[in-house]
Amino acid sequence: MNRGSKVIGCLILTGCASLYGCAGQHSEAALQQAGADFQKVKEDSNVLRIAPKDVIRAGESLARADRLSTYWGSGSDVAHYAYLSQRYSEIARQHTNQVLNEERAAKLELERQRLQLALRESKLLSVQQQGKWLEEQIVALATTQTDRGLVMTLGDVLFDTGEAELKNSANRVVLKIVQFLQLNPKRVVRIEGYADSTGGKQENLKLSRDRAQSVADVLMDLGIDDKRIQVEGYGDEYPVDANASERGRAQNRRVEIVFSDEKGQLGAAR
Amino acid sequence: MSIRPLCAALAVLALAGCAADPAPNEQMRLTAQALEQAKAVGASADDVPEMKLAEEKYNRAKGSMADQSFKNARMRAEQAELDARLAEAKVLTLKSEEQLNVLNTRIARLRKQLGDAQ
Repeated sequence: MNRGSKVIGCLILTGCASLYGCAGQHSEAALQQAGADFQKVKEDSNVLRIAPKDVIRAGESLARADRLSTYWGSGSDVAHYAYLSQRYSEIARQHTNQVLNEERAAKLELERQRLQLALRESKLLSVQQQGKWLEEQIVALATTQTDRGLVMTLGDVLFDTGEAELKNSANRVVLKIVQFLQLNPKRVVRIEGYADSTGGKQENLKLSRDRAQSVADVLMDLGIDDKRIQVEGYGDEYPVDANASERGRAQNRRVEIVFSDEKGQLGAAR
Repeated sequence: MSIRPLCAALAVLALAGCAADPAPNEQMRLTAQALEQAKAVGASADDVPEMKLAEEKYNRAKGSMADQSFKNARMRAEQAELDARLAEAKVLTLKSEEQLNVLNTRIARLRKQLGDAQ
């Protein structure tokens, strides 16, 4: 019996030793790895700045694992605390990366806003250039830069005979005028109606005025302030051609739009 | 002669077993909370391996609680808590990276437009 128990005792001892050996090796490796990870986060100034608590906890867990590793049979505890320490180190690292990203994002956001502003400005500039282009177009359309200023003529074809209503075919040119006035908010216009010499003087005066008014109405409908629009009817006065021919009369039936200069100075009415 | 020390050793072991580990209720609560928090930011066991680990360990910890194996329960719950926290941190870091990418894309687009405009 005595011998038997000795043998059993021996077996148990060797069993324990080999188990300890295995566990010891395993926990030793875990401890070393945790130590290496901790060393890395500890030396990173960003991690220390951003996640100091996690670094401290990683260090505490590591110290615990280290202390336990000097005790016999504590392999699983060592591995446990080494694991916790590694986790804390990794959490500290992740948290740091997150905050660094956020800090970078804040800078980029400022950059983005700056660029957006710059783009808006450049677009505005291009609209202004477009405005200049439109102005050139209007000038080209108007053709006559008279002593009265910039004058644009809406021909007879834009009205039905004897009617004051502007035809739809005038839409494009009207829209251009509106756009031009919107881009040049200080400019004002005087809309002058003219008739040919056929028909009574009063009728002609009325028709010329009505036609001018209908053009003014359209401009107002499209959003131009009525304070910027003057309306005049001149009847058969100021013909541009002889009333003897049909062609000449057609030339004389017209609405002229006189534009002020950029400061809103309009030439005197006739 | 050979029996007595053995008895003493057994008694010490039994005492140690009893004294060492009360039920880790507080740790279980902390772990559950960490899991909740990780889930709240969108960490799922399918996408984040640490989350899978956390859930497995937490379940094993609950099993250990039921078996009154409190030391095991505590260790598993402690590991599960940190696994969940790491999962949460990883998800948040990933999100911040995505945010960074979005910003970089936008800035590149703005620069391109500015380049075109000039």
